[in-house]
Amino acid sequence: MTAAADPGRPGPASARAPFLWGFRLIPRIETYPEVVSFAQTDIGKFTLLGIFAIGLWYTHPLWQVLIVLLAVVTLLPQYRRMVLTFGTLVWGFGIIWPWTVRPLLLPAAMVLILAALLFWAASRFPHSGFGRRPVASLLTGFALSVLLASYLPRGGYLWAASWDFLTVAGAYLWFIAYSLLDAGSKSRDPFALQVGTYRPFWGGTNTPFAKGAAYLRRIEAHNPEQLAVAQLKGLKLLAWSVLLDLFLRKAFLPVVHGRLGIPVYSQLFELSVQRGSFPWYVGWASLIANFIEDLARLSIFGHRIIASCRMAGFLALRNTCRPLASRSIAEFWNRYYYYFKELLVDCFFYPTFMRYFKGHRRWRLFAATFAAACFGNAFFHFFRDLGYIEESGFWKALAGFQAYIFYTVVLAVGIGISQLRERRVETTGWIRGRLVPAFWVIGFFCILSVFDYTDKRYPLQECFRFLAHLFNLTS
Amino acid sequence: MERKAVIREFVRELLARKGDTEPFSDEASLLLSGRLQSVDAVEIAVFLEEEFGVDFAERGFDQEMIDTLDAISALVEDSAKTP
Repeated sequence: MTAAADPGRPGPASARAPFLWGFRLIPRIETYPEVVSFAQTDIGKFTLLGIFAIGLWYTHPLWQVLIVLLAVVTLLPQYRRMVLTFGTLVWGFGIIWPWTVRPLLLPAAMVLILAALLFWAASRFPHSGFGRRPVASLLTGFALSVLLASYLPRGGYLWAASWDFLTVAGAYLWFIAYSLLDAGSKSRDPFALQVGTYRPFWGGTNTPFAKGAAYLRRIEAHNPEQLAVAQLKGLKLLAWSVLLDLFLRKAFLPVVHGRLGIPVYSQLFELSVQRGSFPWYVGWASLIANFIEDLARLSIFGHRIIASCRMAGFLALRNTCRPLASRSIAEFWNRYYYYFKELLVDCFFYPTFMRYFKGHRRWRLFAATFAAACFGNAFFHFFRDLGYIEESGFWKALAGFQAYIFYTVVLAVGIGISQLRERRVETTGWIRGRLVPAFWVIGFFCILSVFDYTDKRYPLQECFRFLAHLFNLTS
Repeated sequence: MERKAVIREFVRELLARKGDTEPFSDEASLLLSGRLQSVDAVEIAVFLEEEFGVDFAERGFDQEMIDTLDAISALVEDSAKTP
């Protein structure tokens, strides 16, 4: 669980590779003193917000609400964290929870009250069983609640109310976990500010983008110049998001699936399940195209969220940062989906590493990696899809999850071995030092993506069957 | 050698192993800035355990505790005071 997603600062001198002799598609405007000065003026702020609004209009369905919140947070930097809490509550209680399949305002309020109680208990009683292991207690409690709810008689009020509550609790689970991690800190934020990090208005998934309150404290702009730099970097990132989206939708997908006729991966997988035949090279073409498309989609999505976070005055690291340049499996895992990796590191890797196998350094690292990349990863994805557990029951859902569990085991072994190998500064040149390792790393993740299957419709053997197709081992 | 100097030397070596030879101040963020990563945090934690007897199993761990040279020094001082 290593390596860097580091957009905020130029890389170390030896790691920097010139790209077309220093040419940049989007110039480093945050390094131009005139631009930074201009961005600190009132007219500069409105100009930035105006340009950002155009990008949001292209990428975000609720761009009007988001730009108003960003304008408020820009104009009231001294109340940034309070505005964040206010905006996040408006977003949650005005936009998300009233408009789900059933309005979930009451369960959402109950979850926040429970989160406040847990935060208070973890800060007030740090030496209690719960205070010493707040995140493990939270996750165990949540998992047991889901298990119990799956045994409730179907269709009754208690069943519906329980699943409504668990749906909201699941959506906030990892945000609350970050709060509980912060509860032990001497410089922790009060709960009122922690709430601002619970699915913040700049967007995200069940993975907390820009982590929790502790991280926000560290990356918050503390003066007008820092705010200007953060916003300019946010603007650049949004521009990247728009450019990548245009490339994907207007060039890559039409060429790959239209002109070249490469089948969509999910359709080809379905064909494999139906025992249909296709040439092995078509399988590879489809898999590689799907891998690139997934990378692009994650970049577009993550860039948009982090761009808004930066626009709000928090200079967060990018979510996806040049994954194809990775020279090791561990580095790719870090560069591909940074905030998910960080979640696993904070909630599983560190606690395991600091407590177990302390006398065996290699086992310690391997065990912690397994706890994060295998157990934590599987836990996150299994409990993310609560609707499926509600529908099928706990154990059937778990059985349906076998392909993804296999994926997490192989992933953890890969990352573990990658980390245990000695890390050195590359000295073997561009081809042997960069291109060849990158090729193997991309190959590993591309093949492994066959098993990155969370739909739960088909068993593990269907993934192996598709893999066999790729090597022309089936008819 | 003074504690802080020992820690500084260890962090400098850690950065140098990654090809990062740029200077860093006592207050400069090392982890949350992305300059060092989680596996480097682990290296720092092991170093602090072995060199100064800091017990993270007892006090818990988050990256903020070792994000700057100042924070690491404060942690070591605090650990030395705690019986």
